[in-house]
Amino acid sequence: MATNVALSVDPHAARRRWFWLVGSAVAIAAAFVSLAVGAVDISVADVLGVFAAKLGLRESSEQAAAVVWGIRMPRLLVGFAVGATLGLVGAVMQGLLRNDLADPQLLGIGPGAAIGAAIGAAAAGVRGAIAGGVFAGVVTALVLRRLVRRVSIDPTRIILSGVALGAALSAWVGFVVFGAERAAVPPLEFWLLGSLAGATWQTFGSAVAFIVLTTGALLTATRSLDLFALGEPEARHLGVDTTMVTTLVLVGCGAAVGATVGAVGIVSFVGLLTPFLMRPIVGYSHRYLLPASMLAGGTFVVVADLAARSIFEPVEIPVGLITAAVGGPVFLWLLVRKRHV
Amino acid sequence: MSESIVVAEQVSYRVNDAVLIDDVSMHAQPGELVALAGPNGAGKSTMLRLLAGDLKPESGTVRVAGLDTHRAPPAEVARARSVMRQGRSADVPFTAAAVVSMGRYPHRSDPDNSKAADLRAIGAAMERVDVVHLAARVFATLSGGEQTRVVIARILAQDAPVVLLDEPTTALDVAHQERVLAAIRRMANEGRSVVAVLHDLNAAAHYADRIVLLRAGAVCAEGAPIEVLERGLLSELYGQPMIVTDHPTRNCPLVLTSDE
Repeated sequence: MATNVALSVDPHAARRRWFWLVGSAVAIAAAFVSLAVGAVDISVADVLGVFAAKLGLRESSEQAAAVVWGIRMPRLLVGFAVGATLGLVGAVMQGLLRNDLADPQLLGIGPGAAIGAAIGAAAAGVRGAIAGGVFAGVVTALVLRRLVRRVSIDPTRIILSGVALGAALSAWVGFVVFGAERAAVPPLEFWLLGSLAGATWQTFGSAVAFIVLTTGALLTATRSLDLFALGEPEARHLGVDTTMVTTLVLVGCGAAVGATVGAVGIVSFVGLLTPFLMRPIVGYSHRYLLPASMLAGGTFVVVADLAARSIFEPVEIPVGLITAAVGGPVFLWLLVRKRHV
Repeated sequence: MSESIVVAEQVSYRVNDAVLIDDVSMHAQPGELVALAGPNGAGKSTMLRLLAGDLKPESGTVRVAGLDTHRAPPAEVARARSVMRQGRSADVPFTAAAVVSMGRYPHRSDPDNSKAADLRAIGAAMERVDVVHLAARVFATLSGGEQTRVVIARILAQDAPVVLLDEPTTALDVAHQERVLAAIRRMANEGRSVVAVLHDLNAAAHYADRIVLLRAGAVCAEGAPIEVLERGLLSELYGQPMIVTDHPTRNCPLVLTSDE
C-alpha cells in the first residue's frame, strides 16, 4: 500500500547509521589517546598491553599499569559518564520544555546541586559530595518545576528565571566553600568550572549507580517527549499525563546532574550544545536523539579533558573552561541563527 | 434516539472573580455535529476546554463517554475524545506521517490494539483528508491549510468516539474551510460525536445539526440552525444589525451583516 511506503520514509535513517559508525570510532580513538597522553607518555601499544594484562593474557610494566589503570582509566570513565549524562539531560530538558536553550546548568540545576555537593564534601568526602549533589539537584529541579508551571507560557521567561536562579545559587556555592574548612572542601573553581583532575575509581564507583539509574529512567520517556513537541496541551490530549511526566523527568534530570556535579563540579555547555548538534544528524525523535546525545556528550567531555590537561602542560586547567570556550561561541551562533527560541 | 455521549450538567467555571462559564448544560449524541457559537468572549473556547478536561469545573459535571475528563486516567480519556485546540504550535519538527502516527499513542496501553491496526488507522486517516503525499514532509514546513489537514488526520487516527474542535478553520481560505468542514461533517456522519467552536455562523448553519449559542458564559439559545439563527436574537447578541435569509443553493439559513 502506498501509504505504508510513505510512512517508512525517514530522512535521517542513513545519516544515523553513519553517525553511529563514525561516532563510536571517534569515541574509541579519543579514549585511547586520553589513556596514552599525559605527564607520563605511554604508547597506545602499551595501553593495549595493560588491558591484555588485566585480562591475564600477558605481563605489562607496573608503571604503565599504575598510570593507565589506576589514574587515567577512572578519569576517562568519569569524564565519559558525566558528558553522556549532561548530553542526555540537555536533550531531555529541551524536549520537555520545547526550548532549544534549556540546559541543566543554565537553568540552575547545576549550581543548586553544587551547594549540596559542597556541603556533602565537607561532611563526608567524595561520597558525601555525590549524595549531597543528588539531593540538592532534585530540590533545585523541584523549584524549577514550580517555575515552569507558573511561566510555562513563555519560554524566554523560563530561561531568564533559570539564569537568575543559577547566578544566585552559584554565589551561594561560594558562601559554602569559604565558610567551610579549607582542606575539607574543593575550591570554588572546582565547583563552578568543573575538573576531572581528582576523579578516581572511588568517584566513579560512587556516581555510577545514580547515573545508570537516572539515565535508564530518562531513556524510557522517549515517546512522551516526542509528543511534547506537538505542545504540552496536545501531549495531554493524546493521553500523556503531562503533569506527572514533567515532574518525574525533571526530578530524574536533577538527580543525574546532581551526581555529575558531586563528582566533577559544573561542566557547562555540554547539555546545551550536544543535542543541538545531534538533531540535524540523527533527527528529532528522542528514541535516536537521546542515545546519540549521550555518545556525543561523553566524547565531548573526554576530548575537552584531554585539552584541559594538555594546553598548559604540566598545569591542568578546569575542563569547564574548555567546554565553555568552545560552547560559548556556538551558543551565540545558535542564538543568531535561530529565529525563535 | 441514541443516548448522549457528551454531557455537561450545570457547569460553572471562573477565574478569580470573572465568571467565564455560568451554569451551562449541554449534550451531544453520536452522529451529531454540535456547533458552539457566540460573540468574542462568550466562553466558547473555555466551554470546549472544560469538555476536553483541560479545566476543572468549579461546579457541575462533565462526562464524555462516561468519563470525568479532568480526573480519569489520561490514556483512557484520550481513547474517548480527541481534541484540536486553537493556536496550536506550527513549528513541530516531525514529518506529517510521524505527527499522524502520534494519534495512535493512547492505544499503546490498549491490549486489543496491534501494530497492524495502527498502520491501517494511520493510512486510512491520511487518505481521508488527502495528505498521503505530504507524509515525508516536515510539519513545520507545511502551509496552514496542510497543517490543519494533518492535524485532522491525527485526530482521525486517534479514533475516539468524541471529537472536540476549537475553531478548526481559523486562518484558512474559503476552499480549505469547506474541505475541512466537509471532513468534520463526515466524522459525524460516521457515528462520531463532534463538538466544534465555530466562529462563522454560516459554517454552523450548513454543517451543524445543532447550534449552542453562548452569551457571557451562559447558553442563550440552542437548537437546529433554522431555529437558533434568528434576526432579532443575532442582532441583539452581537450588537450588530443582521439579516437572516435562505441560502440560495443550500438548504439552510444564510446570515449577513447589515446596516441600521
